[in-house]
Amino acid sequence: MKPLTQDALIEQLSAIVGADKVRTDADSLTTFGKDWTKVYEPNPSAIVFPKTTEQVRDIVLLANEYGIALVPSGGRTGLSAGAVAANGEVVVAFDYMNQLTDFNAVDRTVKCGAGVITEQLQTYAEEQGLFYPVDFASAGSSQIGGNIGTNAGGIKVIRWGMTRDWVAGLTVVTGKGDVLQLNKDLLKNNTGYDLRQLFIGGEGTLGFVTEATMRLTRPPKNLTVLVLAIPELDDVMKVLNQFQSSMDLTAFEFFSDKAMRKVLARGDVPAPFESSAEYYALIEFEAVTEADMELSMTLFEQCLEAGWVVDGVISQSETQAANLWRLREDISETIAEWTPYKNDISVVVSKVPPFLRDIDDIVTREYPDFDIIWFGHIGDGNLHLNILKPEALAKEEFFARCNKVSTWVMEVVAKYQGSISAEHGVGMTKKAYLTYTRSEAEIDYMRAMKAVFDPKGVMNPGKLLP
Amino acid sequence: MKVLVAVKRVIDYNVKVRVKSDNTDVDLTNVKMAMNPFCEIAVEEAVRLKEKGIATEIVVVSIGPKVAQEQIRTALALGADRGILVETDEKLESLSVAKLLKAVVEKEQPQLVLMGKQTIDSDNNQTGQMLGALTGMAQGTFASEVAIDGDKVNVTREIDGGLRTVALNLPAIVTTDLRLNEPRYASLPNIMKAKRKPLDVTTPADLGVEVKSTLSLVKVTPPAQREAGIKVADVAQLVEKLKNEAKVL
Repeated sequence: MKPLTQDALIEQLSAIVGADKVRTDADSLTTFGKDWTKVYEPNPSAIVFPKTTEQVRDIVLLANEYGIALVPSGGRTGLSAGAVAANGEVVVAFDYMNQLTDFNAVDRTVKCGAGVITEQLQTYAEEQGLFYPVDFASAGSSQIGGNIGTNAGGIKVIRWGMTRDWVAGLTVVTGKGDVLQLNKDLLKNNTGYDLRQLFIGGEGTLGFVTEATMRLTRPPKNLTVLVLAIPELDDVMKVLNQFQSSMDLTAFEFFSDKAMRKVLARGDVPAPFESSAEYYALIEFEAVTEADMELSMTLFEQCLEAGWVVDGVISQSETQAANLWRLREDISETIAEWTPYKNDISVVVSKVPPFLRDIDDIVTREYPDFDIIWFGHIGDGNLHLNILKPEALAKEEFFARCNKVSTWVMEVVAKYQGSISAEHGVGMTKKAYLTYTRSEAEIDYMRAMKAVFDPKGVMNPGKLLP
Repeated sequence: MKVLVAVKRVIDYNVKVRVKSDNTDVDLTNVKMAMNPFCEIAVEEAVRLKEKGIATEIVVVSIGPKVAQEQIRTALALGADRGILVETDEKLESLSVAKLLKAVVEKEQPQLVLMGKQTIDSDNNQTGQMLGALTGMAQGTFASEVAIDGDKVNVTREIDGGLRTVALNLPAIVTTDLRLNEPRYASLPNIMKAKRKPLDVTTPADLGVEVKSTLSLVKVTPPAQREAGIKVADVAQLVEKLKNEAKVL
């Protein structure tokens, strides 16, 4: 097997997808060669835009023949460098596979090309009187294929689960170039290994998802948002317990005062109240009847009397609900300019309070000179710990210092049997820490699985597995 | 100084409005309702006047069905002192609303009436003006700034191509525009306190006003669907299309 020259590569790719669907201009190489992470410099050799599963299969077969590394690219909003092409790979971008077809009102499913944008699916569901519940700040850019590859979570996990829970069936092209139809959209299908689950969260290392049948559900009624001011970190979980023991929540988010100040400084999001506290919780629930509203007030009153909460607001309209959500949802985008070092860690909910204390101790001890931004989907045990780069510090030095302390953070994660990546995936930035969550034996099985589906190692190499 | 604020319960600004399949009206089943955004601005302005020590009492009035109490409670939570609901299930036109407000004004004798310049459901922009005509009070519409100065109020109005400031003798009517202020959220402690604030319910008959509709709604249709865009081959074709099809050149 002889490696292809650049010209021959372009020629072969063009033969599969057409010359206008292969790009090598500098702009495209930079744009499609990276995601939201800023750690690695993009350096792909070409970007190819297939339109059909067959074209994807042909690209994978070509890759197998000539040993070409492929990197999948969706909305490029990943936060772990899972879709970064830094080593001359060919990027397979799914932007043109963005069709929604085969809507089935009885099964409440719709077939999505891998390139369907999350918001496109949400809007489509709404038009059918239904609801696609997986939601996060980047829903306007992220694609279903990428959501599946990373098993995206987001802000409604506490009630509706992760992307995994909404995938009824998959069409995948394996690393060997086989096209598999997985699960055939069935609800009940106990016929052995559910291969579909391997590709969900597989980060494109076993194969590429080209189509997915996604489940939809009934839309929630009158979502109402509370934002509460909570002075003590320990009390955040007490507030969660208080609310959850009496009502079903659709979201329970948390963010620190520092995080909120950054968002408010943008000037286009109104402050929730004049008082401030170290931490805030955003609670969302369905207010179907007047009694639901009354109950939320009573619970707030109890939290107030217990001294856990000092102030709070409740949305009186959808506009206010949307604006309150922005306090939480705009954090990631707002802090992006400080090149944040991101930790996305989780433990079971019952262990959150001691876990938070341990992590808090480490970061205040080790990062006294850094700005630490806390936020997260704390209702499901998921915490985003962001460290902002001081302007004067070089990127390399900053990441080196963060990596050093990260090891300690990961040790705490391991101590509490938590996850080093709750919803961002492993990609390149977290793979060195995989052993803190997965045992050596487990990782060996994962490697063996990779060898079965992708024996030549052409599918997103260098990601996920250490 | 007593301030009267009028608020209306309307379809939530964020809701995508749907038309009933028989085109008789807008579909309101299971649709989120909220305070008209311009009314929120009027309430906020009243509360700010109270915080400055200028307003001594804020009375909030709403005209509509029983559930409009929710919007009055919101205003009370934001800082109004007491509420009046003129309860009616009739679909009222601006003139009827203005007549009812006139009756409330006569009863309450406020120095300042604050109201939205229009509601986002009917978009009429005339109730404030009609109330001015019926009561003979001075009116300052489209306010982007309100400054009380002794027995006068200086109202900066947003007009085409600029601003115009008028001085009105009190009592006066001011209708609010978008840039007047940014309304705050109702805090939970204040919402709880608002439950204990007085809210009186009255009816058009009690106020001696006959509400009669002189209009009938003929048809409601949604806006035309936007057609898909096209790609033009070159600038010449673009110019040709802009000239002959879009007729904008």
